Amino acid sequence: MTEASMIGLLSATVSFGALLYLAALGELVTEKSGILNLGVEGMMAIGAVTGFMVALETNNPWIAFLAAIVATAVFALLHGLFTVILGAEQVVSGLSLTILGVGLAAFLGKGAVGRPPGAVLAPVDWGPLSDIPWVGTIFFSQSPVVYFAVLAGVAVSLLLTHTSVGLALRGAGESASTVDAAGYSVTAIRLAAVAFGGAMAGASGAYLTLSLTPQWAEGLTAGRGWIAVALVIFGAWRPGRAAVGAVLFGGLLALKTRLQTFGVDLSPILLSMLPYLLTIAVLIVISIRARNRPSAAPAALGQTYRREER
Amino acid sequence: MTRLVLVRREQVLKGGQPLAFLIGLVFAMLVGVVLLLISGHDPLAIYGRMVEASLGSPRAWSITLNRAVPLGLAGLAVAVAGSMGLWNIGAEGQILAGAMMAAWVARLGEGWASPLLITAMLVAAVVGGALLASGPAVARAQIGVNEIITTLMLNEVALRLLQWLIHGSWKDPESHGFPLAPMLPDEARLPGLFERAHWGVVIALGVIALFGLVASRTAWGYELRVAGSSGATARYAGISLKRKITTVLILSGGIAGLAGGIELSGNADRITEGISAGYGFAGIIVAALALLRPSGVAAVALLFGAVQVGGLSIQTMGVSSSVSTILQAFILFGAIGAGVFSRYAVRRVNNDKTSSES
Repeated sequence: MTEASMIGLLSATVSFGALLYLAALGELVTEKSGILNLGVEGMMAIGAVTGFMVALETNNPWIAFLAAIVATAVFALLHGLFTVILGAEQVVSGLSLTILGVGLAAFLGKGAVGRPPGAVLAPVDWGPLSDIPWVGTIFFSQSPVVYFAVLAGVAVSLLLTHTSVGLALRGAGESASTVDAAGYSVTAIRLAAVAFGGAMAGASGAYLTLSLTPQWAEGLTAGRGWIAVALVIFGAWRPGRAAVGAVLFGGLLALKTRLQTFGVDLSPILLSMLPYLLTIAVLIVISIRARNRPSAAPAALGQTYRREER
Repeated sequence: MTRLVLVRREQVLKGGQPLAFLIGLVFAMLVGVVLLLISGHDPLAIYGRMVEASLGSPRAWSITLNRAVPLGLAGLAVAVAGSMGLWNIGAEGQILAGAMMAAWVARLGEGWASPLLITAMLVAAVVGGALLASGPAVARAQIGVNEIITTLMLNEVALRLLQWLIHGSWKDPESHGFPLAPMLPDEARLPGLFERAHWGVVIALGVIALFGLVASRTAWGYELRVAGSSGATARYAGISLKRKITTVLILSGGIAGLAGGIELSGNADRITEGISAGYGFAGIIVAALALLRPSGVAAVALLFGAVQVGGLSIQTMGVSSSVSTILQAFILFGAIGAGVFSRYAVRRVNNDKTSSES
């Protein structure tokens, strides 16, 4: 194993980690408000195609990135409309959102298949910091989206634990009627959380087509939306722990394409099962522990709230 | 100041669900018209072609029926679990597991007589789906692990297991390096029924009808519904929840696995990673639209089969087949939206504390 390949692996770990973290962070906030959204895979596809298409039109990666975030937030509100307002089953609505998102992305992006990118988000140059051996390449030569993901993680963490908005958001997912009685609108909180989840999934998708693999192809998201859902559980609904999980799962994604170069005789396909198996293992541990102490999952996750039926 | 709220009706509107389904269908068609116009196609010509290709001739019907088989079985799998308040989101993976087991038996049973081989393949398929579901089933029953997530995660695991087999030990030495499993022998193919339709149609209908009878006419089915509506009631009635949860989820997985076996034996030349083509996820929508009723599952599966076959046929006219995927999702969203009004009525209320608290 050469030094260059090791640096390459770690650098890719950070890149993939950020990709997963963005989507997982959005899902975490959504779930904290009491809404399960299994549409992450579809939302990522929408973000990816929007980012790529807008970049083709405008040649401006930042407008493309922003457009992907806004478009995916609006798309996610479809889930909000059906689950929060109309009280539809969250599992069914979320899966439909995935089916719709993947189909819509394929439909919209048909003309973009195989085309060179209109613009890419160039890596940030941190000057002397980027020249530090190892650390410079791994941490200070990344796409701006990576730093955006770090900032978003810190912001969400602070918001959830130190602000009244965060308290209300967590309340909506733990005991909606209490939050309602305190004068907050559960509907507004949950809709905002769903839209935020969409925005982050959109950012993650756009990162894919504007930085990581700057091209569009059907099925580009390749199940990473499901890993993001898994990460929320793996991280026990905490932004910090989810970040650790993101680096771990990102490392597995990065390692997958590099196993051969490291001379490891293990099928990369088998390696890619690990995030899902690890998540199941964590879920079992959480469930066993939940017998003695409160579960880590928001208590009202998946439940519709109607104030007139309180 | 007044605002509009949804108030639960005392009785569910009669005929509400079929009506909601129809509204969903019309809504999806309208969305389709917009999509087709935007992309510069003639919606009438496209829809005409879709209907023609899916329902316009005995041959078209046979293709639609074949397509409805995995959709109906996956839908039934979800409905079986749903009748007890459980979510099997893993039909997609269980279909793959079923197909893998069936393909494995087809490899082992070289030279067997066709009826024996096909029977063994389908039994193995049921076992495969049931095996994949057994982990989530036991985990849910014994320690309360959320079955939605475990079954969802196992979809991805099953897909990768299949990829690993196709890229590895199952790769056909004559495929010139392509990751393809060998072609199935003729003895492993389900016999035909009419035109392109195969016997899987009869098997699927039989299984759906059988479960419909068991659910509505037997004590077992009754216990299932009791356990699904209230765990406490079930315990008072002496029903073992743990055993019920385990058997129902494993049964659900077995039904989905059967879909994989039939798909391999009836439709495919060989096992590929695309053998499920999203049937598992579509099955969840089918079950939801059918309100978890077996008879409804068969009807919705047929309609979705037609939409999918129609969607594939318009590719020759330069339209992306994703149009049919989009239509299916919109049928569901439209139906959910419309369905709300069979359970809820819109009321205008004064937005001051006293009236909204009442």
